[in-house]
Amino acid sequence: MAQAQLEGAQRVGSRFPKFTFILDQGKQFGPRVGRLCLTRPSNCLPNHVIDIRTPNFLIGTSRGVVPHFSRDHVHSANGISWINVSFESFLEQTPPVPTYQAGSQPLHNFLGFDSSKHIVSLSLRDPLDAREMPPNGNSHVSALCMRGVRKVTPADWRSYVLTMQPDIAFALSDTPFTAAPHSQKRLTKSIERSAAWLADLLRPLENTDDSPTESTPTLNVFVHMAGGTSTSARRAFSHSLTETLHGLEANAVKPLRCLDEGVAGYSFDLAALHVRPAPLSTHHDRGGGIEIAENSLSLQNSESLAQTPTPNTAGTPTSLSSSMIEPLSFLSLAPTLDELLRASLDPLPVAKPRLVTDVRSPHEILRLIRDIGVDVFDAGWAVKAADIGVALDFIFPVPSEHDNSPDHRKRDIGHNLYDAKYAHDFVSLTDAFLAGHNRTSSSKTPVCPCAACSPVSSTSPIQHSKVDVQSHQAHSDDGTNREQFLPPFTRAYLHHLLHTHEMSAHTLLVAHNVAVLDALLTGVRTIISGHADQNEAAAIFAREVTRFEEVYDGTMSVLHTARDNWKDVKYARENKDARSVHSTEVQ
Amino acid sequence: MQFEVIAKCHTTRARVCRMKLAHGVTMLPTFMPVATQAAIKGLTPQQVESLGITLILNNTYHLNLRPGIKVLDEAGGAHNFQGWNRNLLTDSGGFQLVSLSKFTDITEDGALFASPFNGEPTMLTPEESISIQHSIGADIIMQLDDVVSSLTVGPRVGEAMHRSVRWLDRCIEQHEKSGRKDKQNLFAIVQGGLDPALRDLCLDAMIERKDQVAGYAIGGLSGGEEKDVFWKIIKQCADRLPSDRPRYSMGVGFAEDLLVCVALGVDMADCVFPTRTARFGVALTFKGPLNLKLGKHTKSMEPIDKNCPCPTCASGMSRAVLHHIVTIETAGAHALTVHNLVFQAQVMGGARDAILEARFPEYLRSFFFDYFGDAGYPEWCVNALRSVGVDLMQGVDLPLVQGSGVKWEYSDAA
Ligand SMILES: [Zn+2]
Ligand SMILES: [Zn+2]
Repeated sequence: MAQAQLEGAQRVGSRFPKFTFILDQGKQFGPRVGRLCLTRPSNCLPNHVIDIRTPNFLIGTSRGVVPHFSRDHVHSANGISWINVSFESFLEQTPPVPTYQAGSQPLHNFLGFDSSKHIVSLSLRDPLDAREMPPNGNSHVSALCMRGVRKVTPADWRSYVLTMQPDIAFALSDTPFTAAPHSQKRLTKSIERSAAWLADLLRPLENTDDSPTESTPTLNVFVHMAGGTSTSARRAFSHSLTETLHGLEANAVKPLRCLDEGVAGYSFDLAALHVRPAPLSTHHDRGGGIEIAENSLSLQNSESLAQTPTPNTAGTPTSLSSSMIEPLSFLSLAPTLDELLRASLDPLPVAKPRLVTDVRSPHEILRLIRDIGVDVFDAGWAVKAADIGVALDFIFPVPSEHDNSPDHRKRDIGHNLYDAKYAHDFVSLTDAFLAGHNRTSSSKTPVCPCAACSPVSSTSPIQHSKVDVQSHQAHSDDGTNREQFLPPFTRAYLHHLLHTHEMSAHTLLVAHNVAVLDALLTGVRTIISGHADQNEAAAIFAREVTRFEEVYDGTMSVLHTARDNWKDVKYARENKDARSVHSTEVQ
Repeated sequence: MQFEVIAKCHTTRARVCRMKLAHGVTMLPTFMPVATQAAIKGLTPQQVESLGITLILNNTYHLNLRPGIKVLDEAGGAHNFQGWNRNLLTDSGGFQLVSLSKFTDITEDGALFASPFNGEPTMLTPEESISIQHSIGADIIMQLDDVVSSLTVGPRVGEAMHRSVRWLDRCIEQHEKSGRKDKQNLFAIVQGGLDPALRDLCLDAMIERKDQVAGYAIGGLSGGEEKDVFWKIIKQCADRLPSDRPRYSMGVGFAEDLLVCVALGVDMADCVFPTRTARFGVALTFKGPLNLKLGKHTKSMEPIDKNCPCPTCASGMSRAVLHHIVTIETAGAHALTVHNLVFQAQVMGGARDAILEARFPEYLRSFFFDYFGDAGYPEWCVNALRSVGVDLMQGVDLPLVQGSGVKWEYSDAA
């Protein structure tokens, strides 16, 4: 720890990029479009501005890597501009190994992200992991790595952040991942700790005199909006961000007058709201890779939530400790997700980006854009869909010819490629998009640019000897035009790969699903920005969302079937492996 | 197939050849990665192609089970099915049938085995193997041979060899009448176990059929036999096989084995080893295998090999990052698979250049010194290379290592 802090202190002189958000159109609540703009210090790179139009998405990592992607896929994948790294897996070593990375942009370089293309943010915890954890303390957060639970203090976190120099850092947050329900006292403590830990990260950086001409370098800090399932707790937390500080507190964060002045954006981690924390013993199965919580409550539909108890209050108390007999008024209400987010955002300035992690469906994304005005979503659900063999297939806005199927069933949002019906299906992964190979100048159907639908030949294969040029020359002369798209990978092929446990299936599906998510959000931006009048834009957008809800199945039943199939195939294999020493690959 | 020898080593039997098949040119000698079930573990075909790989292998036994011939026919063959535009080779399915099936009973008609689907007795005949391989559509297809373990002794070895010759005739006949000879090329497989006399008989018979076969494989080895026996059989076969046909050594994948085989006159080899070992966290390097699970790599900011052109090393991916993800994240397997395939290709590409530039003996000496210099040379490699005029021990003072001499990094308790 001491070493990491030392290195952090040494590197404070290097500057953080400037992060801005421009709200082009939109209000406090309702659909909005804007731009996230990251400007690296001009001496860094020729291409030093990264511009992300919102609404958009970020992709999370597992142990520092985008699941199922090799580095070349991360670079070529469509729409990946913001990658979030959760630091906790690196706590297996002390000091954490990434802190040994020398040079500028250590986080980018350690993990191989492209600083001219990727905004890389750093959070302590994986925002999608809502398993039960030992309680946080007044001065530590419990984080999880493969060697067990680690206590991370705000000072540790500040040091890691200063050392790793992420483009954006998430302040520590006191989110209880212990058995619900949580008392008012617990919520109050959570709010106070979260604010104090934010303040710690916002303390000015020392030793910044290497560039007197530029403004003081500042960390770009996102804060998780604390308050759990209580609207009043959420409101209280937001107020604590905007209230003018005095005395020691003010001194600590000088020149900031209030915490919110130092906050670059607001994040909402829905994982803790979606599920009752699962016991820690539940193994985090990344290799097979899916954790759709069994008891996932349907938050896809904000209306239905109003009638259901919120997850955190749904648990049956096994013991009645005094803390549970707190004023019921605080707990008995079952506010909707909508109300919770509004309670947090209401007291806060309109023009800061809002990030939501652990959304579960395109429907939920669209509603959060329509009703709240969320700017960034994490792509975790699309990756999880890829884990369980689902190729997403939806488009927004829904084209007019895309009406209900003849039997008036809603369309599935994707294809469960485990299903035997795909064994002989030699078309590309989606109906909503064309494969690059099949595009025509007359068709209005957009092309899915992903590595599965629109693969392209490598333009410069590695040559291992001087005569290898004959292999490559001769091949391109044989009529294979290297500029053209190759035929798409088919559902039949993916079906085969899934049933033979070939990892390539998941690589192709992540590429595809991320591209479909990217297209969804591109469609959203086009609709919202297509109308100068804000009220008109909101109305038209709302109409398109309704249409989307009418056409596509919002219960996501295809994901549930796929998960069952995925389990069957996985367990069949494990049983087989247990019975026989033969691998499928004996040679 | 157009096959042309474009350079020969002045000392050893090594040679560089140009093999043109329906899906392009492959320069030999080469190593063929194995895409057992129509995918190289975790990679896309475009990635594999970008690594400079122009010939891969699919396993007939597996593809026949899944996706099955009907699907492959509908797809228009395995190239289309898996999106691979380069050359492809399939085995006959016989080897896996014997090693993976619950029971296999070899009769003159074919191999009788229990169907993995319903347990029913099922027959794979030479004709069927060829017609399945026609559905798959690989550029190179293999005869069905009567496979016995290389450790088998007694009359069964001779019987299997003679039957393999008779089955070759049936495969040839099936292939000749298929009308696919312009696109697909049938290879014979030399059998005869570890018995030089049987190998000679088999070579006599199969060389006689040269006009009907496009190339020859050396089968029945790499099954745990003594390495000194292994190389002698390879040498015996490579010496006698016609020089205007490619020679394929089946199941060979360790770098030292590959280079010895190349020196003895082998053009092609395949093995699952580089891709499988990647999934267990092992990177192959010119200084020997590197087990990235070992604690010593935890904080290493070095790439696996800074001179390696693979995307993993070229991106600067450190051993520390690899240590963090191998055997846990699929991306860890991808990163090492890519590297190991490039390593194999570099070993063989380096051999091609060295042969072309008349410095193959020096290439062998420097490879072995880098790879084994810290531990000593496997005696069998020294013996094998002496048989073709290269003395590894010349000017070096290193111990000889008995047995296979395979280098390995064993795991630690970390
Ligand atoms: Zn796609
Ligand atoms: Zn490499």
